[in-house]
Amino acid sequence: MTTISAESARPGGWRRRLFAAGPYLLLAPGLLWLLYFFIWPAVQMFLMSISSGTLDSGFHVTGTLKPYTDALTKFPTQWSNSLLYGAISTSLDFLIGFPVAYTIAFRGGRYKNLLLFLVIAPFFTSFLIRTISWQILLGDEGPILAFLKHTIGIMPVDFSILYSPVAVIAGLTYNFLPFMILPLYISLEKIDIRVLEAAGDLFASSWQTFRRVTFPLALPGVFAGTILTFIPTMGDYVNAELLGSPKTRMIGNVIQGRFLQSTDYPTASALSFVLMAGILVAVLIYARALGTEQLTG
Amino acid sequence: MATDRDPLNPDLTRRRFLQGSAFAGLAAFLAACTSQTGTESQAPASINIPTPPPVTPAPSTAASPTPVPSPTGPLKFANWPAYIDLSGKAYDTEVYTPGSSPTIEQFKKKYKVDVDYEEKIQDNKTFYATIQPQFQAGSPTGWDLIVITDWLAAKVISKGWAEKIDQGNVPNATANLVDSLKNQVWDPTNDYHYPWQSGMTGIGFNTKVLKSANIPEPKSLKDLYAIDSKKVSFLTESRDTFGLGLLKLGKAADPSSPTIADDLQAVHDDIKPLVEKGLIFADNSYLKNFAAKKTWAAMVWSGDLASSGTEGDTFQFPDEGVMIWTDNLLIPKGATNKYTAELMINFVYDPKIAAQVEDYVYYVCPVKGADVEIKKLDPGAESNPLIFPTADIQAKYHNFQFLSDDVEAKLDELYLDLTGG
Repeated sequence: MTTISAESARPGGWRRRLFAAGPYLLLAPGLLWLLYFFIWPAVQMFLMSISSGTLDSGFHVTGTLKPYTDALTKFPTQWSNSLLYGAISTSLDFLIGFPVAYTIAFRGGRYKNLLLFLVIAPFFTSFLIRTISWQILLGDEGPILAFLKHTIGIMPVDFSILYSPVAVIAGLTYNFLPFMILPLYISLEKIDIRVLEAAGDLFASSWQTFRRVTFPLALPGVFAGTILTFIPTMGDYVNAELLGSPKTRMIGNVIQGRFLQSTDYPTASALSFVLMAGILVAVLIYARALGTEQLTG
Repeated sequence: MATDRDPLNPDLTRRRFLQGSAFAGLAAFLAACTSQTGTESQAPASINIPTPPPVTPAPSTAASPTPVPSPTGPLKFANWPAYIDLSGKAYDTEVYTPGSSPTIEQFKKKYKVDVDYEEKIQDNKTFYATIQPQFQAGSPTGWDLIVITDWLAAKVISKGWAEKIDQGNVPNATANLVDSLKNQVWDPTNDYHYPWQSGMTGIGFNTKVLKSANIPEPKSLKDLYAIDSKKVSFLTESRDTFGLGLLKLGKAADPSSPTIADDLQAVHDDIKPLVEKGLIFADNSYLKNFAAKKTWAAMVWSGDLASSGTEGDTFQFPDEGVMIWTDNLLIPKGATNKYTAELMINFVYDPKIAAQVEDYVYYVCPVKGADVEIKKLDPGAESNPLIFPTADIQAKYHNFQFLSDDVEAKLDELYLDLTGG
């Protein structure tokens, strides 16, 4: 008796169910997109990484672990190159990017928008073209070295940067600098300047203010910036290919070579997975180290 | 929680989300598993040299002219970049845009059929990866005419994936193909292919740059290897680099002497020390490197040197021999407009048209009589040994031959090891 009356007292059944399904319906397009363009390809790639065969004879899932053992053991130089160059270029980006973001945020004034535009302006040109132009910039007789070698004369004539690790790191640092500057700027901009003034009132020097107030408050931006820079640089292959030599190849080049040149899809997929897993673990450890409460602002 | 979720304000709890995702993931996994039953392994033709599919005896009407159908279109023609004559703005940019090629426009006008020419092929392997699934499944590739290098052409023909060309529709080609390119082991009667352009791989350098660096001009591959490796580049195509590498070691890369894995290993071990000392691998950016004095000498492709405008750029035929490769016109199986494709093959083997194409492309011309025609367009080109090699150069030709699957895999592995992945 009570259940029947309770039933009829509520608003129309289908309207209630529609309302209840609200969040799912709104999430559906995004989830479907993720499912079709991320999860599904990731699953296929995983299955490919435990397959064997060739492009001509077809690939079959055999459960073999050879692609993974190859991925982990055959390319020590390239793995260490990726880690090294990624770490160095991310650090350089941070050292260069932080002062820029700080200046724009606190000293920008009415030029803030213009300065931000200047930071993003290079992106209007394609990534590939910008990297190729660095081949010219860093050339043995290019604008920089010719000036140093002939005009000032402080470099020996056979000094060369192009096709060396220095060129690759320079390219990586340049290409991903805006990814560091923008998140840093956003998080520095949110800091209320009065907090910094308060620190001054409490007898903190500028350095102490920076170390104990500004930097901790900017930590979400630091985290986002370093992640957005480190992950792409680790997987990058364009800079190593255009500005480097066979000895400076990174793991991205190996993956590209396996996919396109030797059509060895199992090894390429295994390499991709190992790279993804490695980066994921690194990011989790990094987030833990920084402390998650601070990262969510 | 004590209370159930309020239906009017449903809470997407973490548990429910994870449950839903797990189901979705499981479904995807199962679907992926079952879809892997697709490709069956082909019974590998265990041959060193591919043979064309057996010719079924044609009915007696083969010799008499076939009734002339009207050409269907649009002709889907896939080619490499800068491989057909271009005019106007495209002449400088070296990129084809519809209407920029005189040859294509003349063909369209003559046969009143549209041509969809695309510079789709940048690399044999990557292009092959786009058409192989359709071949495997027995469905049309979407192309009517493709241009692929001889080793890939041999592979495609041996698997029965090329349409047999009706020789009655290509009298120009039958008559004008140069003798040096006839009788290829993998298609001796030209039933399935006709060369589009040939090219040579050899040594290249700029005479002025070498002079200013006081380096003698390398006349042999041995000389090339001896130059300071930091100033030398080899090629980004594995077959070109290894082909010359084999010649340097005195091993022929010809079809008559099958290259075995050990020979390739020897080439790899010969080149590896140079990589350690700073050797790089370049595509036609070697021209830029010559100009920037970054590279003193390199392994190069003849066409680039022939058409380079820079003074002093020289192509040297190595003492040990020169590699020749050919890019060939093929009609893939299942082509919709096979007759139109044959008309195109016939059209470009007309010496006048061939000369027109050659005047721009500047690679080795496969058409007899084009040297006479090109005199009118570009006096001096007919005696350019890079476009019309003389008999003594032709005697030094070596062709990189077809490799079986496992030797090819070994080549890829060794080459990737040299280039660093």
